[in-house]
Amino acid sequence: MCGIVGFFDKRPDGVGPVGKIVLSLLTTLGRRGPDSAGAALYADPEGLVVRVKLGERGDLGPRAAEVSERARQLTRVLATDVQGHYLRLVLEALREVRAFELALETVHPEVEVVSVGHRLEIVKELGSPANLETTFGLSAFTGSHGIGHTRLSTESRVDLSHSQPFWAHGTLDLAIVHNGHITNYHKLRRRYEQRGIRFYTDNDSEVIGIYLADRMAQGLPFDEALRASVRDLDGSFSYLAATAEAFGYAKDPFCLKPLIVTESEEFVALANEEVAIRTTFEGTLETWEPSNRQVQAWFLPRGGGRQAA
Amino acid sequence: MQTVDCEGKTTREINREIHRVIEAGEKEITLLNPRARHNLAVAILRPVRIIIEGSVGYYCAGMIGGPTVEIRGSAGWGLAECMMAGTVVVDGNAGNGAAASIRGGTVVIRGDAAARAGISMKGGCLIIEGNAGYMTGFMAQKGTIVILGDADEALADSMYEAEIFVAGRIAELGNDAVVHEPSPGDLAAVSATLSRFDLSVPRTLQKVVAGRKLWNFDKKDFELWKEAL
Repeated sequence: MCGIVGFFDKRPDGVGPVGKIVLSLLTTLGRRGPDSAGAALYADPEGLVVRVKLGERGDLGPRAAEVSERARQLTRVLATDVQGHYLRLVLEALREVRAFELALETVHPEVEVVSVGHRLEIVKELGSPANLETTFGLSAFTGSHGIGHTRLSTESRVDLSHSQPFWAHGTLDLAIVHNGHITNYHKLRRRYEQRGIRFYTDNDSEVIGIYLADRMAQGLPFDEALRASVRDLDGSFSYLAATAEAFGYAKDPFCLKPLIVTESEEFVALANEEVAIRTTFEGTLETWEPSNRQVQAWFLPRGGGRQAA
Repeated sequence: MQTVDCEGKTTREINREIHRVIEAGEKEITLLNPRARHNLAVAILRPVRIIIEGSVGYYCAGMIGGPTVEIRGSAGWGLAECMMAGTVVVDGNAGNGAAASIRGGTVVIRGDAAARAGISMKGGCLIIEGNAGYMTGFMAQKGTIVILGDADEALADSMYEAEIFVAGRIAELGNDAVVHEPSPGDLAAVSATLSRFDLSVPRTLQKVVAGRKLWNFDKKDFELWKEAL
């Protein structure tokens, strides 16, 4: 199973209660994935935001201090905040994202940078979506768009690290959520590992972010990268992806996983069960299920106002 | 007419209430606030009329035999699955597997149907006023599907004795599917079915049936079998 949800505010410079909306969508789909819940949200923070998982359990206070100290040695840190198992850092800027990430991760094997972005922030917790509210106050988050996930693990272990959304390590602001199985995962993983790309988990969904980051690094626009993925990824999938300016979905060649779409003048909402949309939004909204291999992407007006079908 | 409000009730409570009202002799029931909940109005075997004021989730009107179910919204996966008799009409679009395995009755989708509508039908009729999705009619054994819009890839794949009529464009025929010219008898039957729902027979109509090459294994057709799913 797994629940996937997405929300995108289409209004020019639209900033709305994206945290509250994603939380509502996720709460309805909590039963599709009781193992963990997470969200990737996009806003305009005061600097470059880094979210770091300090560990899976225990007293993480000393480790938070150590990671913060390591960050200060490397760049100017504007703010630090500990939320549950996570440390949130606001940086002025970063020259080498990957080098910074690896430097923080040398503090302890359980330390993992879960997101870096000018607009992206990823939060994940074990258990129900309600825990995202308790730990991070998700509903207070305002921004332009977001994607979320509730996980029912079928192929890898249940911990914070294996939870979704996945950030594409090293690529600012790119995140994905996935329902399904990528059956050529091992083949793709081997190919990427031979090129020196590190996988952080044994979760097959992680490869989607790595794939998109790779395609976009080769020069493909976001929507074209999604389109290419439908040819290159095998298995069953409905996945959502987002960057600082874009938001979209892709469906597998056999329509094996559900996805419901609704779009109005103001917003786009996606969920793999319509019940999430109907419990979150009032009014008459037309909903439909995309076809096999279908890809659709939306771009923020401030990012050039481009819209692709 | 009696109303059943879904708000604040579990799915089991809603369905029990519907059945209780029917047992008490009610002929028309309106469901309020369905909010795309799953498994609504299932296993109803009496010829009652059920109006659902909004969208429904998965498996709505599944395992029914006799009622008329009108959905004033869209429907999720497995609409009217395994229906034996009756009528189901959806004003909006339907998700994957609409009218899967139905044995009788009629399902009408006023909007578009997603993938695998009418898969494994064993009788009855499915009318799709909009476009039909990927693999419509896959392995259907009997019954009729009428598509007034376009049909997506793999139409009528590996079918048995079902018949599909398409008014619009066919993106791609499935394995062993062949196109025939509809006979005057076919057109009269389709016309009679459509007129029940205020629909008229479109100017052009293609009939898609099985080429019967996959019904029995033959070494000569090995290439075809390698392709077939």
